[in-house]
Amino acid sequence: MIAAFLTSSMTRVIPIGMVLLALQRTLFVELRPFGVIIQIVLAFAASAGAAGGPERGAVTGFVVGLMFDLSVGTPLGSSSIVMGTAGFVAGWVDLIRIDTTWWMAAIFVGVGGGVGEAFVPVVRRFIGEEDAFVPEMATIVPVVAVAAAILSIALVPLSRWALKLGRPEWKLPNDG
Amino acid sequence: MAIYSAGRRRTMIILLLTSILLITLDLRGNAVFNAARSGFSYAIRPFEIAGDVVTRPIERVWSGVTDIDDLKDENARLQRRIDQQSGTEIAGENALIENRQLRALLDIESLAAYDRKTGEIVGSSPSNYDQRVEIDLGSSDGIKVGMPVVNEAGLVGKITQVNPETSVVMLITDTLYNVPVKVVALVFPTPSTVTPDTVPSGLDVGDVTTTTTTTTTTTIPVDVSTDASTDTSTDASTDDSLDPAVDPVVDAPLPETTTTSTSTTTTTTTTTTIPPEPVEENRETGLLNGKGGDLLPSVQFIADSPQFGRIEVGDEILTAGGSRSLAPPNIPIGRVENVIQRPGTAGLELEVGLNVDLGRLSFLSVILYQPPTELR
Repeated sequence: MIAAFLTSSMTRVIPIGMVLLALQRTLFVELRPFGVIIQIVLAFAASAGAAGGPERGAVTGFVVGLMFDLSVGTPLGSSSIVMGTAGFVAGWVDLIRIDTTWWMAAIFVGVGGGVGEAFVPVVRRFIGEEDAFVPEMATIVPVVAVAAAILSIALVPLSRWALKLGRPEWKLPNDG
Repeated sequence: MAIYSAGRRRTMIILLLTSILLITLDLRGNAVFNAARSGFSYAIRPFEIAGDVVTRPIERVWSGVTDIDDLKDENARLQRRIDQQSGTEIAGENALIENRQLRALLDIESLAAYDRKTGEIVGSSPSNYDQRVEIDLGSSDGIKVGMPVVNEAGLVGKITQVNPETSVVMLITDTLYNVPVKVVALVFPTPSTVTPDTVPSGLDVGDVTTTTTTTTTTTIPVDVSTDASTDTSTDASTDDSLDPAVDPVVDAPLPETTTTSTSTTTTTTTTTTIPPEPVEENRETGLLNGKGGDLLPSVQFIADSPQFGRIEVGDEILTAGGSRSLAPPNIPIGRVENVIQRPGTAGLELEVGLNVDLGRLSFLSVILYQPPTELR
């Protein structure tokens, strides 16, 4: 089991998640374009989806979401759902194109990040929080989505390395 | 590759169910998860310190570019406010000391009875929906979950998570935050006639008649000192031949007329104006809830009871205290900004303008008071 873990991609995902989480809690809480905190960890989960497909994106999102919850103090598992969803949605880019270009990946990472961020109040409402939907969502979701799309230029290659995927390969449609 | 393959569906269902299970266990309170959080806070601390050191120059450049105009405006505004407040500071401090002494005499629960620990903010919540900050005080400093957090301006929030070296403070604007509060108003008393035992000049009260409304009129004999050589006798008598007149405007007795017979007939009238002291009057109690983001917190469950007086914009909001309260009594929170009439029996809703500027917090004090509801 330990050997399986050591050979899995998690040996890279977890340290990268720690570094990104540290950046999230230091740099990105200070840089607030339009008053919105850019979600780099969420963008990484979406990038993992764009690089490795919906399954890998969901699993990576689940893991970094757990780390996020442990760090921030939100109920354990709540961010896992959010980031897993972001990774899964962004992974759809793998299904509709044979060869993923950088800009196509950026669009899907942006969509995944936006969906994930919009999912936060849904999960919070699910766990019993009243007034989870705030009016600022109209600003928060687009800004987070655009920022995730921009960050994907760096994060997609990083997540490709973290997931041990190597260079993009040609894929046949409907080979699932 | 199909979107909904069986393996993919199975993976997603497993992840979703695992997340829901974790949420359920965590919300019910789980010692293993708490230990995992403490361990993770230790593990990530070096990453955060390194990240802070590396990214600080970027943060400074960013804030230099984006905040300079705001800071200039704020500086000018704060300077004006300092000038305005310097006059009232001494009177306020005096009243505070007097208040503490009286509370100690009457054995009333007071904020000053609790010790405090002061710490610095070391981080903010990375979420766009949370209103939380992290301070550099933890369980090693005696901090416990539920303790109220304040700064000089008033209530800031409460402790929701305690790590060995740090704690998470849920701010008062967080949607999960609520605390019992009371609405108080400063009421100026109606005019009343009082006869003090002494007067400022040191004359015996029998020699003068003082009527205190908003104006005190004092009739003082010219020669008040007893001079044996002149053998002056003072025969003070009140002329009761007329019924006490009633002022038709204020419906209060007019000052009594004192006729003083002395060797000289000159009298001096001194008029002193004493402003009436405002009295704090409870209006109503309710529950304050955060609304998230930039929205003002609101107070609900307020019965619109005229016997307590009408709640008005500007009335003060303080913590209510009580045996099961989340905070000690009389921590200032803010003032009523809007009074919203709700239909039916819903009662009033008040929007509260906070005393504290949550965007500019730096040092916070934790009051070492653990609410009874948080004791485990």
